[in-house]
Amino acid sequence: METLVRLSFYCFAAATIAFAASALCYVAYAIGRVRLRQTTLATNAGTTMVSHEASLEPASLGIGRFATLLAWFGVAFQVASILFRTVAGGRLPLSNMYEFSSTFVLLAGVVYLLFERWYGVRQLGAIVLPLIVGMCAYIWLLPAELREVNALIPALQNRPLMTIHVSMAILAYATFAVAFAAAVLFLVANRWQVAWLPSPDLLDDLGYRAVTIGFPAMSLVLILGSVWAYRAWGTYWQWDPKETAALFTWLIYGVYLHTRSLRGWRGSRSAVILLVAFAAVVFTYFGNYVFGGLHAYGGV
Amino acid sequence: MTHASVQQRTLQSRALADIVVDRIWRFFCSVRAAVVEIAILALLVLVGTLRGSSVPQAIADTFPVTAPIVDRWYAWDVYRSLPFAGILTLLSVAIAVCTINRAPGIWQAIAHPSVGTTHGFLRNAETSASFAASIPPHAFAGQLGTALRSKRYRVLTEERNGEVHLYADRWRFSRLATFPFHLALIMILAGGIVGAAWGFRENEFYIPEGSVRELGHGTGLHVRLDDFSEVYREDGTALAYRSDITLMRDGQPVQSGSMTVNNPLTFGDIVFYQSGFGQAVALKIEDSAGQVLFDDALPLGPFQSRLNPDSPAARIDLLPAGVALSVVAPDENPANAPELDTLQLRPGQMFFMIRPLGADRPIAEPIGATVSQGDSIQLGDLTLTFVRERRFSVLQVARNPGIPLFIAASVLLIGGLAITFYFPHRRVRGIVSTTTDGSVARLAPIARRDWSAKRVFERLALDIGRQLGIGPELHVNEPASALTGSRQSVRPSL
Ligand code: HEM
Repeated sequence: METLVRLSFYCFAAATIAFAASALCYVAYAIGRVRLRQTTLATNAGTTMVSHEASLEPASLGIGRFATLLAWFGVAFQVASILFRTVAGGRLPLSNMYEFSSTFVLLAGVVYLLFERWYGVRQLGAIVLPLIVGMCAYIWLLPAELREVNALIPALQNRPLMTIHVSMAILAYATFAVAFAAAVLFLVANRWQVAWLPSPDLLDDLGYRAVTIGFPAMSLVLILGSVWAYRAWGTYWQWDPKETAALFTWLIYGVYLHTRSLRGWRGSRSAVILLVAFAAVVFTYFGNYVFGGLHAYGGV
Repeated sequence: MTHASVQQRTLQSRALADIVVDRIWRFFCSVRAAVVEIAILALLVLVGTLRGSSVPQAIADTFPVTAPIVDRWYAWDVYRSLPFAGILTLLSVAIAVCTINRAPGIWQAIAHPSVGTTHGFLRNAETSASFAASIPPHAFAGQLGTALRSKRYRVLTEERNGEVHLYADRWRFSRLATFPFHLALIMILAGGIVGAAWGFRENEFYIPEGSVRELGHGTGLHVRLDDFSEVYREDGTALAYRSDITLMRDGQPVQSGSMTVNNPLTFGDIVFYQSGFGQAVALKIEDSAGQVLFDDALPLGPFQSRLNPDSPAARIDLLPAGVALSVVAPDENPANAPELDTLQLRPGQMFFMIRPLGADRPIAEPIGATVSQGDSIQLGDLTLTFVRERRFSVLQVARNPGIPLFIAASVLLIGGLAITFYFPHRRVRGIVSTTTDGSVARLAPIARRDWSAKRVFERLALDIGRQLGIGPELHVNEPASALTGSRQSVRPSL
């Protein structure tokens, strides 16, 4: 049991390294190569003038492939980490911020890699992978007690409901992270016409597709959360801060979905709303630090 | 006033009323307005969320100038405020009006879509495909139709000026899914209103082991706690606890069962939840005439005694005797402040104290005494017997007639979203015209700035081409958003 928990942590450490290396490669791939060109000009006076010119070129495909490979490695280690912890605890690791965040790291990696395959573009990784690495760093900074596997307080003991409710939340956040990355790249591609970035249309569509997974998942989170609250506390909606933060996030994505059918909004403005919406996701995720409430147990 | 001028004025005011109604109607139908309304709702929810935060308090502490504003902000109960109710009402009306407004158009697009199109539309489409064949347009349109149908598209054709116009679509009924989804939002609100108006919720229903309590709220039910049990962890925190109860109506048991946290007991539409538990004391109180004033268990916990604020304690008013009785239990938690404990009770003991309820009462001063389990004492006119220690359970009891609405709404919401998102209405238009060596068909999707829909169409075009044995020519127009608009035609190899 102890050993399994430690093993799980080692796998997480390996995943962190793989994700960090992958993030570097993705960033290098997205930025492209800086090419310095030196031109020597002869002047009338018989002297020469040297001019330097820097330009960006697409990076080699090799580094992109390598980034993807490393990301898959990270995912594989993270799967192992979660598996060990599941065996050690006899349940999916979804109950404190350490476990929740580890599962998020895994799902964000998987969701991102799937989108990479579907759309055949890699540049998004330059945003999603650093986010994942940031999350790994956050996990490392959490108090070490959270790495232990603890029994659950009675209110958290409804396994199927809790599992679906929490894993849907993680899935939603993971897809929202991908949508966020698409929005950032959209704004960049739309503004600067970087030739090797995916077309704005593709990025707009990718962001939308991600939300079409995240929004229903988030709806399920709210619904199952209410069902659970109803079973545990006798009321399906208590205006608890974590609930309302999730509702806030859901509403902002609702705004986003509407703006897509508005002339003059689809595109840049929708992308900006996606950025705001992702800020709401981060707020909901880390909200426990800001407000108390029923979701505060489980060691933050 | 002549007859004509009266008529004129009625016409004018009718026109004005029409304009106003039309304006209001259009405001409610506007997605732009809906966006603003949802954004305002989101903002209010955010304000409510931040109410639990200590950040504004910290601001007020640092900058005392802001204190009055911060205090008022904390005092504002957003969710019960008028603006909040207003925006919810506005959204509900907007959804209803919007539904009524959109339904006929959407139905028209599903049942009787316009088939005819123009060469301009096909030429300017962001993606399109042309197919050439050596048979007349009619026959070729027939072949295309068969191929499209085999891909589960519905195909409609129409002849115009010797050309065949073609319309094909798939998953047309998914256009309707937006209605259950939006109506579900209203139903959830309606469920909340129904629950608040016709339901009840008892948050702290205290019931000691072996006792019977009346539920009230017009249910006619009594609840008896037959047994209470609990399991602790090593560190002393509760792992699980369970109450076994019997529900009685007119003195007859109607249902028995047990409940734990997360596993409530249901009777009809009334739900009983395990919420908490604590220590109780079984007491018997008699007056000097031998009349029994109290013979039941008293939950210790909701009351704090000055004699030891950390101990479980209770207080009841014995109106016939004109006194209030307080009971204090031993303080068994070593972590509590021992210096506040003026009683120093040992396990198995209780402290009883009575004090007068009014000024002109037989006992002028509070009197109290320590009693051991099973013993009786005399306090004033009363004989008190500490029968035994018991436990009490705290239940939550709720009846919420809004739940069925809520469940139905949840299904509609998720189902509606899933259909809208995962089975989007795909549409293709086309014209088959005559050429010197047969006919040519040009097809284009209705997919402006919709990358996925364009990919789906391109795949469809290739599939159809493969079926008919014709290599289609794909035409791509970069969408207008890109500054470097380019046109290219590619002939993919099959
Ligand atoms: C809290 C309130 C609301 C939420 C959360 C919400 C959510 C959504 C969502 C998720 C969609 C995307 C699904 C689809 O494409 O059909 C959508 C579409 C739509 N909503 Fe709402 N909605 C709300 C209120 C309203 C209101 C008040 C109106 C009426 C003015 C409205 C009009 C529309 C329309 C016309 C569409 C279709 C847009 C399209 O075809 O792309 N919605 N809504």
